[in-house]
Amino acid sequence: MNDTFKITRKELKEMMRDKRVRFGAFIMPIFLVLMMVQLFGFIIGAAKGAVKSTVYIVGAQADLSKTFSSAGMSIKTVPTTEDGIKLIKDDKAKLVLAFKSAMTDGQVQIEAYYDPKQQMAQLALSGVQQALSLENKKALAETLREKLIPETAAEHIKLIPKPVEVGSKGAGELIVGFLPYLIVLFAFSGGMSMAADMVAGEKDKNTLETLLITPVGRNQIVLGKVLALAVVCFLSSFSCVVGLLLASVLKLPGSEEMFKNGFGVTPIAAGTIILLQLPMVAMFASILIAISSYARNPREAQTYLALVNFVVILPAVFSQVIGLTDLGSKLWINAVPVLNSANNIRNALLGKTDWLAVAITFGVSAVLALIGIWIAVFLFNREEVLIRI
Amino acid sequence: MVRTNGLKKHFKDPKTGIKKAVDGIDIEAKPGRIFGLLGVNGAGKTTVLRMLSTVIKPTAGSAEVNGLDVVADAQRVRASIGFMSNSTALYGRLTSREVIQYFGTLYGMDDARLAERMNYVLDKLEIHEFADRLCDKLSTGQKQRVSIARTILHDPPVLFFDEPTAGLDVVTSQTVMEFIEEARDLGKTVIFSTHIMSEVDRLCDDIAVIHDGIVVASGSPDTMRQVTEEKSLERAFLQLVKFQASYVSTRKASE
Repeated sequence: MNDTFKITRKELKEMMRDKRVRFGAFIMPIFLVLMMVQLFGFIIGAAKGAVKSTVYIVGAQADLSKTFSSAGMSIKTVPTTEDGIKLIKDDKAKLVLAFKSAMTDGQVQIEAYYDPKQQMAQLALSGVQQALSLENKKALAETLREKLIPETAAEHIKLIPKPVEVGSKGAGELIVGFLPYLIVLFAFSGGMSMAADMVAGEKDKNTLETLLITPVGRNQIVLGKVLALAVVCFLSSFSCVVGLLLASVLKLPGSEEMFKNGFGVTPIAAGTIILLQLPMVAMFASILIAISSYARNPREAQTYLALVNFVVILPAVFSQVIGLTDLGSKLWINAVPVLNSANNIRNALLGKTDWLAVAITFGVSAVLALIGIWIAVFLFNREEVLIRI
Repeated sequence: MVRTNGLKKHFKDPKTGIKKAVDGIDIEAKPGRIFGLLGVNGAGKTTVLRMLSTVIKPTAGSAEVNGLDVVADAQRVRASIGFMSNSTALYGRLTSREVIQYFGTLYGMDDARLAERMNYVLDKLEIHEFADRLCDKLSTGQKQRVSIARTILHDPPVLFFDEPTAGLDVVTSQTVMEFIEEARDLGKTVIFSTHIMSEVDRLCDDIAVIHDGIVVASGSPDTMRQVTEEKSLERAFLQLVKFQASYVSTRKASE
């Protein structure tokens, strides 16, 4: 067996026996994805529930009460407006509708009392507004018909939304929002816990000297370590997709909202994700090993790694909101490390893989990985790897 | 055989400029004999051993190990040495067997040879009973035995010991010293670095006293006693080191 692979195999064996790696790199991403699916599902469910929540009514008209009931809202009556306001202040009601007596022109005015600081109250109000808007349209259409005026007269210009299916069927928008971020994040942090131990830790425990005294060349030793760490980074990163698959298969509470389009990660999207992950984890692993080779001891290495972590987190965070801008479709964005991978993973999940962008991203990450490996090899070959005054 | 000629190692020190860790050392260690490198902490013993084991390159001078140049034939030099220090340097999350096997594969041993040598070292050092226990769970004595097994697994003709008994209890120290004597009896070239004079008296056939990176005296332990006119090797060593210290301070003052 090639010496590099001997080193890799031993490093992997050691890492897999480390609780920190098993928990931080594999269990944590799966757990985090399961939690996020549940959390987002719960929030969406709660928001929908708020639209159809209980509405308190003062002096109701029977017809309008029916309108709200048929919109899925439950109706309760309160004797006076003051009672209704008290319920809001006591946080027992989100929305109180006080019906006023009909105007001479027949218009019914309803005062809607709510706490504007409460998002759930705002959602309940918008639910009522939608129900009333439909009722108003019906009433207007009837009036126009009675006066033999075409219904279209009330809507001089009508907007008809026509969604266009771009690319294949993709994942739900929430999955697209957080999955690329987690994939990139764990590609780095999955290997971070072990990186400090792999060279700086070996210096500290004096095992590095023993290793350097074997006939195996230093290049092979460091490449073996980079390869082992890249495997852990990759598996950690891919654990996020596994977590999502688990959430989909187990049909956990909240997963219905998240998986409206099914699992959403198509084979092409999964393949694209893996393709983008490969140079990215090589880049991260080489940076991590280079830092570990430079540091005197694991504590110093951890300090540097914590700082570098921010450099990875920032573009990863930006990838979550890139959909709010048109930057995601620009070609130059594929030259920005980390962000390019996250953006292309996002597009793959949306079913809109742009192969030119994927190729550029792959190339940029691969070049950076090679530079990272060169730096790691250079630092590991210096005498200072063992003795740094 | 291990031979050095004007061996030097200078480090760049950001605070003091150049640090002359080893400043021209000539030694010769022969097969079937134990060569002791004596010196106080920081004298340069470990740096000499690191150059001989090719971990660091000499600034000047040359060194041969088993007839091979430490710079030109570094990889072959490494294949022909075994190195053991006071730190057991074992991987805590691997078992004793896995550690020994791992190093066997790194030394390029084929499966049959590895199996044969594994059996030999496990028997010889009585490791069988804890061979499948993680190194983190071993006692200091057990760790030291595994460390010895790792050092001799590939049956190297040259062995380096860098203060191998430092911090060990009497029983474990005894095991290490017996092992060093056995290596000598097997005709191996042994270089043994220490500052414990009782061990030198027991083990070493030839010695070199190093201080401030240079050899201040060399010969057999008896020669040291005769030169310094001291009965104990410890007092002889102290006299040599003190003489060198005063010599160095006089030289620095004149500079």
